[in-house]
Amino acid sequence: MMMSNSPGDFHCLSLGEDQEELFTENSNSNVVDTQFDIIIGYIEDIIMEEKFQTLQNSFLERFYKEFEETEENKFIYTDIHKEYVNVLEKCLEDELSMRVPDFSMIEFTKQIIERKSELDGEIFEILLTFSDFVAFKDMFLDYRAAKEGKTVDLSTGLTITSYSEMPCDRGEINFGQN
Amino acid sequence: MGLLTILKKMKQKEKEVRLLMLGLDNAGKTTILKKFNGEDIDTISPTLGFNIKTLEHRGFKLNVWDVGGQRSLRSYWRNYFESTDGLIWVVDSADRMRIQDCKQELHSLLLEERLAGSTLLVFANKQDLPGSLSSEDIKKMLDLDNIKSHHWRILPCSAVTGEHLLEGIDWTIDDIASRIFTMD
Repeated sequence: MMMSNSPGDFHCLSLGEDQEELFTENSNSNVVDTQFDIIIGYIEDIIMEEKFQTLQNSFLERFYKEFEETEENKFIYTDIHKEYVNVLEKCLEDELSMRVPDFSMIEFTKQIIERKSELDGEIFEILLTFSDFVAFKDMFLDYRAAKEGKTVDLSTGLTITSYSEMPCDRGEINFGQN
Repeated sequence: MGLLTILKKMKQKEKEVRLLMLGLDNAGKTTILKKFNGEDIDTISPTLGFNIKTLEHRGFKLNVWDVGGQRSLRSYWRNYFESTDGLIWVVDSADRMRIQDCKQELHSLLLEERLAGSTLLVFANKQDLPGSLSSEDIKKMLDLDNIKSHHWRILPCSAVTGEHLLEGIDWTIDDIASRIFTMD
Protein backbone atom coordinates (compact mmCIF):
# COMPACT_ATOMS: atom_id res chain seq x y z
CA MET A 1 0.00 0.00 0.00
CA MET A 2 0.95 3.62 -0.18
CA MET A 3 1.06 4.17 3.53
CA SER A 4 4.44 4.47 5.12
CA ASN A 5 3.02 3.89 8.57
CA SER A 6 0.86 0.87 8.83
CA PRO A 7 -2.09 1.69 11.01
CA GLY A 8 -2.64 -1.99 11.65
CA ASP A 9 -0.80 -2.08 14.95
CA PHE A 10 -3.24 0.04 16.88
CA HIS A 11 -4.77 -1.79 19.72
CA CYS A 12 -7.40 -0.93 22.16
CA LEU A 13 -6.02 -1.60 25.60
CA SER A 14 -8.62 -2.45 28.08
CA LEU A 15 -8.56 -2.27 31.82
CA GLY A 16 -11.53 -4.51 32.30
CA GLU A 17 -13.43 -2.49 34.84
CA ASP A 18 -17.19 -2.29 34.93
CA GLN A 19 -17.75 -5.98 34.58
CA GLU A 20 -21.14 -6.62 35.95
CA GLU A 21 -23.56 -9.41 36.22
CA LEU A 22 -26.27 -8.39 33.80
CA PHE A 23 -28.82 -11.10 33.80
CA THR A 24 -30.34 -11.42 37.19
CA GLU A 25 -33.79 -12.09 35.85
CA ASN A 26 -34.76 -14.14 32.85
CA SER A 27 -38.44 -14.28 33.37
CA ASN A 28 -39.79 -12.17 30.54
CA SER A 29 -39.12 -10.79 27.09
CA ASN A 30 -37.95 -7.49 28.54
CA VAL A 31 -34.63 -9.15 29.08
CA VAL A 32 -33.76 -8.67 25.43
CA ASP A 33 -34.78 -5.03 25.58
CA THR A 34 -32.84 -4.50 28.75
CA GLN A 35 -29.75 -6.11 27.37
CA PHE A 36 -29.95 -4.01 24.22
CA ASP A 37 -30.26 -0.82 26.24
CA ILE A 38 -27.42 -1.84 28.49
CA ILE A 39 -25.15 -2.42 25.52
CA ILE A 40 -26.06 0.96 24.05
CA GLY A 41 -25.26 2.49 27.42
CA TYR A 42 -21.89 0.80 27.40
CA ILE A 43 -21.14 2.08 23.93
CA GLU A 44 -21.86 5.59 25.17
CA ASP A 45 -19.45 5.07 28.04
CA ILE A 46 -16.77 3.55 25.86
CA ILE A 47 -16.58 6.31 23.30
CA MET A 48 -16.36 8.92 26.04
CA GLU A 49 -13.56 7.12 27.82
CA GLU A 50 -9.97 8.16 27.63
CA LYS A 51 -8.91 4.91 26.08
CA PHE A 52 -11.10 5.38 23.06
CA GLN A 53 -10.22 9.05 22.79
CA THR A 54 -6.54 8.24 23.01
CA LEU A 55 -6.88 5.71 20.27
CA GLN A 56 -8.60 8.23 18.07
CA ASN A 57 -6.01 10.82 18.90
CA SER A 58 -3.04 8.64 18.14
CA PHE A 59 -4.63 7.90 14.80
CA LEU A 60 -4.95 11.60 14.07
CA GLU A 61 -1.41 12.24 15.19
CA ARG A 62 -0.05 9.54 12.96
CA PHE A 63 -1.75 10.49 9.73
CA TYR A 64 -2.72 14.14 9.85
CA LYS A 65 0.17 15.18 7.63
CA GLU A 66 -1.33 13.20 4.77
CA PHE A 67 -4.40 15.41 4.75
CA GLU A 68 -4.44 18.60 2.76
CA GLU A 69 -6.92 21.43 2.55
CA THR A 70 -7.91 20.71 -1.03
CA GLU A 71 -11.28 19.79 -2.40
CA GLU A 72 -9.97 16.76 -4.22
CA ASN A 73 -9.22 13.73 -2.08
CA LYS A 74 -6.21 11.48 -2.31
CA PHE A 75 -6.70 7.73 -2.57
CA ILE A 76 -4.70 7.24 0.60
CA TYR A 77 -7.50 8.91 2.56
CA THR A 78 -9.67 5.94 1.74
CA ASP A 79 -7.05 3.49 3.03
CA ILE A 80 -6.68 5.44 6.23
CA HIS A 81 -10.43 5.70 6.62
CA LYS A 82 -10.95 1.97 6.24
CA GLU A 83 -8.28 1.28 8.81
CA TYR A 84 -9.80 3.85 11.14
CA VAL A 85 -13.21 2.23 10.99
CA ASN A 86 -11.67 -1.19 11.61
CA VAL A 87 -9.66 0.00 14.57
CA LEU A 88 -12.54 1.80 16.26
CA GLU A 89 -14.85 -1.09 15.68
CA LYS A 90 -12.33 -3.50 17.11
CA CYS A 91 -12.00 -1.31 20.16
CA LEU A 92 -15.75 -1.17 20.66
CA GLU A 93 -16.03 -4.89 20.31
CA ASP A 94 -13.15 -5.60 22.69
CA GLU A 95 -14.53 -3.24 25.28
CA LEU A 96 -18.02 -4.63 25.02
CA SER A 97 -16.69 -8.16 25.36
CA MET A 98 -15.02 -7.12 28.63
CA ARG A 99 -18.28 -5.81 30.02
CA VAL A 100 -20.88 -8.13 28.66
CA PRO A 101 -20.42 -11.86 29.19
CA ASP A 102 -20.78 -13.73 25.90
CA PHE A 103 -21.13 -10.53 23.93
CA SER A 104 -21.59 -11.18 20.24
CA MET A 105 -21.20 -8.34 17.79
CA ILE A 106 -23.09 -10.35 15.19
CA GLU A 107 -26.01 -10.83 17.55
CA PHE A 108 -25.94 -7.17 18.53
CA THR A 109 -25.91 -5.89 14.96
CA LYS A 110 -28.87 -8.16 14.26
CA GLN A 111 -30.76 -6.53 17.10
CA ILE A 112 -29.88 -3.12 15.77
CA ILE A 113 -31.31 -4.00 12.38
CA GLU A 114 -34.51 -5.21 14.02
CA ARG A 115 -34.81 -1.95 15.90
CA LYS A 116 -33.81 0.39 13.17
CA SER A 117 -36.93 2.49 13.53
CA GLU A 118 -35.88 3.35 17.08
CA LEU A 119 -32.41 4.49 16.16
CA ASP A 120 -32.59 8.23 16.48
CA GLY A 121 -30.44 8.88 19.47
CA GLU A 122 -27.32 10.97 19.62
CA ILE A 123 -25.25 7.88 20.13
CA PHE A 124 -26.06 6.70 16.63
CA GLU A 125 -25.22 10.06 15.18
CA ILE A 126 -21.84 9.84 16.87
CA LEU A 127 -21.28 6.32 15.66
CA LEU A 128 -22.24 7.37 12.16
CA THR A 129 -19.70 10.15 12.08
CA PHE A 130 -17.04 7.53 12.71
CA SER A 131 -17.86 5.92 9.41
CA ASP A 132 -18.79 8.99 7.37
CA PHE A 133 -15.95 9.86 5.03
CA VAL A 134 -16.59 13.58 4.81
CA ALA A 135 -16.79 13.92 8.60
CA PHE A 136 -13.62 11.87 8.83
CA LYS A 137 -11.73 14.11 6.43
CA ASP A 138 -12.96 17.25 8.21
CA MET A 139 -11.79 15.85 11.51
CA PHE A 140 -8.30 15.39 10.10
CA LEU A 141 -8.22 18.84 8.52
CA ASP A 142 -9.35 20.44 11.78
CA TYR A 143 -6.72 18.52 13.66
CA ARG A 144 -4.02 19.57 11.23
CA ALA A 145 -5.11 23.21 11.32
CA ALA A 146 -5.01 23.20 15.11
CA LYS A 147 -1.67 21.41 15.09
CA GLU A 148 -0.13 23.93 12.76
CA GLY A 149 -1.61 26.92 14.52
CA LYS A 150 -3.98 27.78 11.73
CA THR A 151 -7.05 28.08 13.84
CA VAL A 152 -9.95 29.94 12.33
CA ASP A 153 -9.43 33.69 12.29
CA LEU A 154 -12.69 35.00 13.62
CA SER A 155 -11.69 38.64 13.16
CA THR A 156 -12.41 38.48 9.44
CA GLY A 157 -16.04 37.76 10.12
CA LEU A 158 -16.45 40.25 12.92
CA THR A 159 -17.50 43.85 12.49
CA ILE A 160 -17.49 46.12 15.47
CA THR A 161 -19.60 49.21 14.97
CA SER A 162 -18.88 52.19 17.16
CA TYR A 163 -21.48 53.11 19.70
CA SER A 164 -22.13 56.57 18.35
CA GLU A 165 -23.04 55.27 14.90
CA MET A 166 -25.47 52.75 16.19
CA PRO A 167 -29.01 53.37 14.99
CA CYS A 168 -30.38 52.32 18.32
CA ASP A 169 -28.94 53.03 21.69
CA ARG A 170 -27.86 49.54 22.61
CA GLY A 171 -24.30 48.42 21.96
CA GLU A 172 -24.23 45.62 19.41
CA ILE A 173 -21.68 43.51 17.72
CA ASN A 174 -22.52 42.41 14.25
CA PHE A 175 -21.26 39.15 12.96
CA GLY A 176 -20.98 39.84 9.27
CA GLN A 177 -21.10 37.18 6.63
CA ASN A 178 -17.75 38.14 5.18
CA MET B 1 -19.65 -6.44 7.90
CA GLY B 2 -19.04 -4.37 10.98
CA LEU B 3 -21.32 -2.38 13.22
CA LEU B 4 -20.48 1.00 11.74
CA THR B 5 -21.06 -0.18 8.20
CA ILE B 6 -24.42 -1.58 9.15
CA LEU B 7 -25.43 1.62 10.89
CA LYS B 8 -24.44 3.57 7.84
CA LYS B 9 -26.47 1.35 5.56
CA MET B 10 -29.49 1.70 7.76
CA LYS B 11 -29.10 5.43 7.81
CA GLN B 12 -29.34 5.39 4.06
CA LYS B 13 -32.94 4.37 4.28
CA GLU B 14 -33.76 8.03 4.73
CA LYS B 15 -33.61 8.73 1.04
CA GLU B 16 -29.89 8.75 0.74
CA VAL B 17 -28.58 7.75 -2.64
CA ARG B 18 -25.00 6.94 -3.49
CA LEU B 19 -23.95 7.61 -7.06
CA LEU B 20 -20.58 6.57 -8.42
CA MET B 21 -19.36 8.44 -11.47
CA LEU B 22 -16.74 6.69 -13.56
CA GLY B 23 -15.38 6.78 -17.08
CA LEU B 24 -12.12 7.26 -18.94
CA ASP B 25 -9.98 10.27 -18.13
CA ASN B 26 -11.04 13.51 -19.78
CA ALA B 27 -14.62 12.29 -20.16
CA GLY B 28 -15.90 15.21 -18.10
CA LYS B 29 -16.89 13.55 -14.83
CA THR B 30 -15.73 16.33 -12.54
CA THR B 31 -17.16 18.96 -14.87
CA ILE B 32 -20.55 17.25 -14.77
CA LEU B 33 -20.39 17.09 -11.00
CA LYS B 34 -19.51 20.75 -10.65
CA LYS B 35 -21.97 21.92 -13.27
CA PHE B 36 -24.74 20.00 -11.61
CA ASN B 37 -23.77 21.57 -8.32
CA GLY B 38 -23.78 25.06 -9.81
CA GLU B 39 -20.05 25.59 -9.47
CA ASP B 40 -17.56 27.27 -11.74
CA ILE B 41 -16.26 24.84 -14.39
CA ASP B 42 -13.49 26.96 -15.92
CA THR B 43 -10.58 25.72 -13.87
CA ILE B 44 -10.90 21.98 -13.65
CA SER B 45 -7.74 19.92 -13.86
CA PRO B 46 -7.43 16.15 -14.27
CA THR B 47 -8.59 14.30 -11.17
CA LEU B 48 -5.82 12.26 -9.60
CA GLY B 49 -7.83 11.11 -6.61
CA PHE B 50 -11.54 11.48 -6.08
CA ASN B 51 -14.20 14.10 -5.36
CA ILE B 52 -17.30 13.80 -3.26
CA LYS B 53 -20.30 16.04 -3.29
CA THR B 54 -23.42 15.79 -1.24
CA LEU B 55 -26.35 17.38 -3.02
CA GLU B 56 -29.91 17.85 -1.95
CA HIS B 57 -32.19 17.17 -4.88
CA ARG B 58 -35.94 16.49 -4.90
CA GLY B 59 -35.83 15.57 -1.25
CA PHE B 60 -33.07 13.06 -1.80
CA LYS B 61 -29.62 13.33 -0.39
CA LEU B 62 -27.28 12.46 -3.23
CA ASN B 63 -23.77 11.39 -2.36
CA VAL B 64 -21.89 11.61 -5.62
CA TRP B 65 -18.43 10.07 -5.86
CA ASP B 66 -16.30 11.07 -8.82
CA VAL B 67 -13.10 9.03 -9.18
CA GLY B 68 -10.20 9.84 -11.50
CA GLY B 69 -10.23 7.92 -14.79
CA GLN B 70 -6.60 7.76 -15.91
CA ARG B 71 -5.49 4.24 -16.69
CA SER B 72 -3.16 4.07 -13.70
CA LEU B 73 -6.01 5.09 -11.40
CA ARG B 74 -8.62 2.62 -12.57
CA SER B 75 -7.45 -0.09 -10.18
CA TYR B 76 -8.64 2.19 -7.37
CA TRP B 77 -12.20 2.26 -8.65
CA ARG B 78 -13.04 -0.92 -6.81
CA ASN B 79 -12.51 0.82 -3.48
CA TYR B 80 -15.62 2.85 -4.19
CA PHE B 81 -18.07 0.18 -5.36
CA GLU B 82 -19.52 -0.63 -1.95
CA SER B 83 -23.10 0.52 -1.40
CA THR B 84 -23.40 2.12 -4.83
CA ASP B 85 -27.02 2.65 -5.89
CA GLY B 86 -26.32 4.18 -9.26
CA LEU B 87 -23.38 4.10 -11.63
CA ILE B 88 -22.95 7.06 -13.95
CA TRP B 89 -20.69 6.16 -16.82
CA VAL B 90 -19.40 9.25 -18.60
CA VAL B 91 -18.26 9.04 -22.22
CA ASP B 92 -16.33 11.64 -24.20
CA SER B 93 -18.44 11.50 -27.35
CA ALA B 94 -15.72 13.24 -29.34
CA ASP B 95 -13.05 10.68 -28.44
CA ARG B 96 -13.56 8.14 -31.21
CA MET B 97 -10.08 6.70 -30.73
CA ARG B 98 -10.81 5.33 -27.29
CA ILE B 99 -14.37 4.15 -27.65
CA GLN B 100 -13.25 0.48 -27.57
CA ASP B 101 -11.29 1.08 -24.41
CA CYS B 102 -14.37 2.79 -23.03
CA LYS B 103 -16.55 -0.19 -23.91
CA GLN B 104 -14.21 -2.70 -22.30
CA GLU B 105 -13.94 -0.75 -19.06
CA LEU B 106 -17.70 -0.40 -18.83
CA HIS B 107 -18.42 -4.05 -19.48
CA SER B 108 -15.88 -5.21 -16.94
CA LEU B 109 -17.49 -2.95 -14.35
CA LEU B 110 -20.86 -4.52 -15.01
CA LEU B 111 -19.45 -7.88 -13.97
CA GLU B 112 -18.57 -6.53 -10.53
CA GLU B 113 -20.56 -8.20 -7.83
CA ARG B 114 -20.62 -5.11 -5.66
CA LEU B 115 -22.22 -3.13 -8.48
CA ALA B 116 -24.85 -5.75 -9.15
CA GLY B 117 -28.32 -4.28 -8.97
CA SER B 118 -27.15 -0.71 -9.41
CA THR B 119 -28.79 1.55 -11.96
CA LEU B 120 -26.63 2.48 -14.93
CA LEU B 121 -26.81 5.88 -16.57
CA VAL B 122 -24.54 6.50 -19.55
CA PHE B 123 -23.86 10.14 -20.29
CA ALA B 124 -22.76 10.72 -23.90
CA ASN B 125 -20.98 13.89 -22.89
CA LYS B 126 -19.49 16.72 -24.96
CA GLN B 127 -22.38 16.93 -27.40
CA ASP B 128 -21.45 20.60 -27.78
CA LEU B 129 -18.24 19.62 -29.60
CA PRO B 130 -18.38 19.42 -33.40
CA GLY B 131 -17.93 15.87 -34.70
CA SER B 132 -19.08 14.22 -31.50
CA LEU B 133 -20.81 10.87 -31.83
CA SER B 134 -24.54 10.76 -31.22
CA SER B 135 -25.89 8.87 -28.25
CA GLU B 136 -27.37 6.39 -30.71
CA ASP B 137 -23.89 5.72 -32.14
CA ILE B 138 -22.44 5.35 -28.69
CA LYS B 139 -25.20 3.00 -27.64
CA LYS B 140 -24.20 0.71 -30.49
CA MET B 141 -20.47 1.07 -30.02
CA LEU B 142 -20.71 0.32 -26.31
CA ASP B 143 -23.06 -2.57 -27.03
CA LEU B 144 -25.56 -1.31 -24.48
CA ASP B 145 -28.44 -3.33 -25.87
CA ASN B 146 -26.74 -6.45 -24.60
CA ILE B 147 -26.77 -5.30 -21.01
CA LYS B 148 -29.31 -7.41 -19.17
CA SER B 149 -27.82 -7.22 -15.70
CA HIS B 150 -28.64 -3.58 -14.97
CA HIS B 151 -31.38 -1.08 -15.65
CA TRP B 152 -29.70 1.34 -18.01
CA ARG B 153 -30.29 4.42 -20.07
CA ILE B 154 -28.13 6.56 -22.30
CA LEU B 155 -28.54 10.30 -22.70
CA PRO B 156 -26.67 12.81 -24.83
CA CYS B 157 -25.42 15.66 -22.67
CA SER B 158 -23.05 18.55 -22.38
CA ALA B 159 -21.42 19.36 -19.08
CA VAL B 160 -20.57 22.81 -20.48
CA THR B 161 -24.10 23.82 -21.44
CA GLY B 162 -25.75 21.62 -18.83
CA GLU B 163 -27.99 20.02 -21.45
CA HIS B 164 -29.76 16.86 -20.18
CA LEU B 165 -27.75 16.64 -16.97
CA LEU B 166 -30.81 17.11 -14.81
CA GLU B 167 -32.84 14.69 -16.88
CA GLY B 168 -30.18 12.03 -16.44
CA ILE B 169 -29.92 12.49 -12.69
CA ASP B 170 -33.71 12.50 -12.36
CA TRP B 171 -34.06 9.26 -14.29
CA THR B 172 -31.34 7.66 -12.18
CA ILE B 173 -33.02 8.70 -8.94
CA ASP B 174 -36.42 7.52 -10.15
CA ASP B 175 -35.04 4.14 -11.09
CA ILE B 176 -33.21 3.75 -7.79
CA ALA B 177 -36.19 4.97 -5.80
CA SER B 178 -38.51 2.48 -7.46
CA ARG B 179 -36.18 -0.30 -6.38
CA ILE B 180 -35.25 0.82 -2.90
CA PHE B 181 -37.65 3.19 -1.27
CA THR B 182 -40.94 1.57 -2.15
CA MET B 183 -40.16 -1.17 0.36
CA ASP B 184 -40.79 1.03 3.41
